[in-house]
Order: sequence, then C-alpha cells, then structure tokens
Amino acid sequence: MTGSRLSRLGAPDIDESSVSGAPDAPARAHRRPDAPGPGTGPVRRRRWTEDKVMPFVLVAPAVLIVVLLRLVPLVMGANFSLTGDGDANGAFIGLDNYRELFGDEVFRTALKNVGLLLLALPVAVAVPGLLATFLFMKVPGHRLYRSVYFFPVVLSPVIIGAIFNVVLSFDGPANQLIGALGLGPVDWLGDSSVAMFTVIGVHIWATFGMALVIFMAGFATVDQSLLDAARSDGANLRQTVWHVIIPELSQTIQFVFVTTMIGMLTGMFGLLYIMTAGGPGGATYLPELYIWVQQGQMNRPALASAASMVLFALMIIVGFAQLRLIRRATKES
Amino acid sequence: MPAASPDGPRTRRLSPRLTAAIGVSLFVSLTACSAASDDGTSGGAGGGSTDKLVVWDWKSGDPTAKAYIDAARADFAAKHPDVEVEFVAQPFDNYYTLLGTAIEAESGPDVVLFNGGAQLRDRVDALAPLDDLLGDNQERLTGWEAFQADGATYAVPITLQGMPFYYNKAVYEEAGLDPETPPATYAELEAACTAIVETGKDCFSLGNKEGIGIEFHLSAYGPGVMSTEQYDAWLAGERDWASPEVKQIFQMWVDQSEAGWFNDGANSTAKFMDEYTKFQGGESGNVIGLISDVAHWKSFDEFLGDDLGVFKPPVVTDQGSSVLPVEGGIGYAVTEWTADPELAYDLVDSLSSTEALTAFYAEAGAIASDTSIDTSDSGIDTVGDIVSWLPESKPLLHSALSADTLELMHRLSQQLLEGSTTVDDALQQLAAADK
Repeated sequence: MTGSRLSRLGAPDIDESSVSGAPDAPARAHRRPDAPGPGTGPVRRRRWTEDKVMPFVLVAPAVLIVVLLRLVPLVMGANFSLTGDGDANGAFIGLDNYRELFGDEVFRTALKNVGLLLLALPVAVAVPGLLATFLFMKVPGHRLYRSVYFFPVVLSPVIIGAIFNVVLSFDGPANQLIGALGLGPVDWLGDSSVAMFTVIGVHIWATFGMALVIFMAGFATVDQSLLDAARSDGANLRQTVWHVIIPELSQTIQFVFVTTMIGMLTGMFGLLYIMTAGGPGGATYLPELYIWVQQGQMNRPALASAASMVLFALMIIVGFAQLRLIRRATKES
Repeated sequence: MPAASPDGPRTRRLSPRLTAAIGVSLFVSLTACSAASDDGTSGGAGGGSTDKLVVWDWKSGDPTAKAYIDAARADFAAKHPDVEVEFVAQPFDNYYTLLGTAIEAESGPDVVLFNGGAQLRDRVDALAPLDDLLGDNQERLTGWEAFQADGATYAVPITLQGMPFYYNKAVYEEAGLDPETPPATYAELEAACTAIVETGKDCFSLGNKEGIGIEFHLSAYGPGVMSTEQYDAWLAGERDWASPEVKQIFQMWVDQSEAGWFNDGANSTAKFMDEYTKFQGGESGNVIGLISDVAHWKSFDEFLGDDLGVFKPPVVTDQGSSVLPVEGGIGYAVTEWTADPELAYDLVDSLSSTEALTAFYAEAGAIASDTSIDTSDSGIDTVGDIVSWLPESKPLLHSALSADTLELMHRLSQQLLEGSTTVDDALQQLAAADK
C-alpha cells in the first residue's frame, strides 16, 4: 500500500545501496524529509532496526563460541577421521580407520572396559547417595564426615594416582594389611584381572565427594512436609527412602548419573596414566588413553580422530539411554 | 518488561557506533581465527623466522644440562650475534604428542630434540635431511645409525645410549661370588642368579609397568644369542621372528621370571625409576641400565660407590658374542618448515660442539657422541670400562622396530610375565605386526 503511494510520488534522489537487501520502497521512505514519522507502518517494517539486531548481537558471542570452538572442531575431527596417516596423510580413505579400530584388540578391550565402567556406575552413584542420606539424617559426626568425604575431590588425579601407586604396590601397605589378616598379596595394578577394578575403585574414591555435594543440595529441596506426612502415616525408613526421597530426588539422581558417567569416561586418563599406563598387557585401556597413545606415541592422529568420534557417539548414546532409563526408574508410576 | 513502545529506544535505527562495534569485534575474531590457521608465517610459538630460532627439547630445563646449554648458546652467539635462540623445555611424557601437533600444523620449533630409532624414523617427513651440511661432524661424532632413515641423516647425535649390565659387588660377595669376576656367559649368570636368589635378594630388579623391560631384555641379550649375520639382518629389516634365536631370547624372559630372578610385581613396578631405586637400594644383584640420561654409571655411583660394577652382555649361544649394544641416544634435528635450514643447522652444530658436549658429559653424566672427549679423569671405574667397549659396539635391536611393533611388544611382555600368552603366540603376533 505504502509502496505504491511512494512510487506514485517518485523518489529519484534515494541512494539504493544504503538499503541493499531491502529494495522495497518502505525502506527508502525514512530518508525522505516528508516520510511518515516513527510509529507509523513503514517504520515497523524496517529491516535493520536495533530491536531486530540486538538479540542476534547478544547471542552471537555464545553462538560463535559454540560454533567455532565446538561444532567446527567436531566436524573437522569427523572429516579428519576419514583421512589417512603417515604416507596417506590428508588423503581420503573412507572408513578404513574405523575398520582398523574395531580390528584392534586393544581398542576392543577399551570398549569392554567402558562396559565395565557402566556396570560400576550404580556403585559410583550409590556410594555418595547413601553417604549423603546418612549426612542428611545427621548421624553423629556428620559435620566432620562432610568435609572428609569432599577432601579427595580437591586432589589432582596425578597426586591420587601417585599415592595409590605407593599404597597398592606389591610390597606396599595394602598388601601388608591383608597379609596381616592372613591373606596372600595381590598385585593390585600388575594383575590384568584385577587392575581395572582397582583403578575404578580409586576413581570412585577420588570423585564421589562432588556427587555427594550435589546430593546434599538435592536433599535441601526435599519437601519436609512430605517427610512429616510419611512419618505420621507410619512409614519405615525403607519406605520413606523409596516412596518419598528417591522420587523427590529424581532430577538430582539423573544429574549425578550423567555427570558421573561423563566423569568416568573422560576423567580417568590421569589415574590410568599414572597407575597402570594401560597395562598390564593392555588390560586397562580406555578410549581416551587409546586416543592419546595413537596420537602422541604412534603418530596416528587420524586414527585417534576416528577413536574420538567413536567415543563421542558412545557418550551420546549412553547419555540419552541413561536419561530415559533413570527417568522411568526414579519416578513413581 | 513493558512492551517496547513504537518510538522507544528498541526500534531505533541501528546506530553507527553499534554497527562499528559489531564490525570491529567480528573483524578481530575472524582475523584471529585466520591467523591461527596460518601456515606458520605468523602466530604460534616461533618457527619460520630468520632472526629467531626456537628449540624444543626435554633437557634444557634440567639443572645438570645448564652448563651444556650455556656453552652451546655462547658458541652460536659467536657465529650469529643477531639471532635470538629460545629453548622450550617440554615435559618428556607429552613431548611426542606436542611435537605431533606442531608437525600437523607445520609450525613451531626450528630445531627439535629426538630419541634415536622409531620416534625419529616415524617423523622424518617433517625433518630436513642434513647430509650436505654435516662436514667434519661426520667423523668427529658417532652414533649416526639411530638418526638415519632410507640413507639420509635427519639428526645429529648428542649422546650415545647403550645397555650394559650393572651389578652390585656387595650383593655378589654376600652370595659367595667373586665380586671382581662378573658373569661372562649365560651359564655363569644363571649360577650367579641361583646363588643371589638363595640369599633372599632379587637377581635382577625389573620394572615392566610400561612394558619397556622387554626392550632392554631384547637389546641386552640379543648380541649374546644371535650370530653377527642374524644381528645385521635384523637391523637391516630382515627379521625372522620364527627363528630359534629370537624364540630363545623371549623364552629367557619367561624362564628368568619363573626362576624368580625378578622382584615381585614387575608388571606394576615402574622402570623409571622404581626398578633402579631397588637396585640402588641394594635389593638386587644386577640391573640392565643405560649409559646416558638416567639410570647410568654416574647416578648408580652416588649410591653404590665402589660396590658398583659393570659387565658386557653375557654370551648365550656358540654363535653369540659379548659386545655392548650402543647407538645414538638423543640428537637434534632441523624441521623442514624452518625459514633457513643452514642457520638452524648452525645451532645444531653448536649444540654438538666438543666444548658443549664435554660440559654435558661432566655435569649430566652422559656418554657423549663426541669420541674426542677425555673420560679418564672421572674417578669412576665403570665409565672407563664402558668407553673402552664403545669401538666394537653394535646398534640396539629394539630401536630397529617401529613404534607400533614396540607397543605390541610391551603389552605381550606383560602378558608373558603373567602367563596369559605363550612365547610362540607372542612371536606370531609380533611377526604379523612387524611388516
């Protein structure tokens, strides 16, 4: 409507380049001294107004960071994983890297160990959950325990690994202790059937404090009136935990499950590196250690990229599956 | 929030100031990104400059290497006073990971330190061949084989690395053995070990947590088992993993473990330095050590003093011989992306000058690649023995293997000690991997 009016009036002195991308007449209108003032139709239809641009400007830093530092490397990594190493550097080789990965016994062991981690996950969540429940119920000395449980979290994995290397060495205190109990020594880190469990155990010990804090924060949100109601209905402890606390903590439990799993899959490198270096016989490899070895020691960055993509896919699948399962398990039907 | 009024600030035309701010920040971030993906002419940690050279190593931060680095710096400054030299000491554990990243980006250091053998040979594509520049150094220095690939030389050796058997004379005496006559044959070594094990000590300290123990085993016993022809063929790439000699070397690894020669928990004991700490602490009679860097005559001498002895690999079979396995230990290479390879080589030349290497030998206890260095005044007997064995030494067997094969061998060695695989199976896997 306005456009037709303007074209009838004619506007020969308007610089069209200043409104490039907006060749329609309303955009030109603002330049005319006799154009309608703000608040009328043509102004609202302007393409580049501050209220339209500002939202983009404000989200741009976040979007740029996600795109440049996350998505672009991800796509580049996926692309890189389809290229060769060494003489074939940069050449497209299709899925050969993936074929090699799944043919590699060490990588298969690493994936099996991921399965082992998933099996250990309920323990890694139950330990802080149980301890947080005790703290919530204010067992004697709960203030002291609260700090003691959190203490290992502030230590770096390297220090924890070094400490447990000494504690668990063949002639170390752990074996002396079980020797005093009349049991034979165990090569905690040198026996391939034991070493992975040892490292997982140490990892749980080292990290459960953080989950404990999250649980305690969750407990703070439990509705006291529900607990009182349960008590006056004569619910015992087991019933209170099962029918009140767990459903109330459903969100917290989901969160702890997912963060603990991510921590196990991506945060055990330091411990593994210090405690077993993947040995003995490759029994304690995890995908991230495998990635590091292939990239750094074997000079196979493209193969390492392929392993990274497998780890990435694994985390997505396991993460989503977990969310669904736990949501179902922790909500009362 | 109240709804924006049509003539309020939210419908204002985009102000020039805001447009400029957005434009500038976009420009800055885009140029920053493009600089990061540049081909090394800008940004990054040096490289490609003619007035500055960047050296990557894992030695220059070591206090014992200070005199060496200072001497090399002074020598280079005399030749090129206008060129700045920066030494970047990387942590050794991550050295090749970091270097891999630099190689992938084709930017970073101009001069890089390398271990001889597999680590260098896997990365020669990123290095400049130095043959035309070597000149007199070729005669003065030894240990070149470890830094050559396909007939070209890619690094200049700084130290020699070898694997002699060190022994503790006090432990030998305690076991009723003659401390001045170390074993010369494998039969004598077996007898000595039986006697030492009976005293309740370990015959050998062994740390195989990383699987490196087998490298030492292979290279140290290899000369005593293989004939000269087999040895040379192995180094030349014609390796017969099914031969009785190779099988014997790996069988010895298993037999020694079963006979109780090693400390308990070898698979969970770190070679560096738990294995050597045990030996220095008098817990064992012998250890297969090194001649440079760490675990060598100088570091053992601090703990054992006159009780420290050294012997060459024992003769195991009739065709075997007792020669010390030695080759170039570490050496400096020039990256292929450096702006002026000759300038970078001049720095390598300074780093391998007699004066600098003498300082390295004296302070760090490294057996330098420079044969003209006088070692007679060290006051430590073992170094005299080691230096006297150098002329007839042979390169190390394990460094002829690729990084892949070595990694597999590490894992198999742990499985062999555990008993979860057999020698035959291990050798089959190694034969398949070593192609």
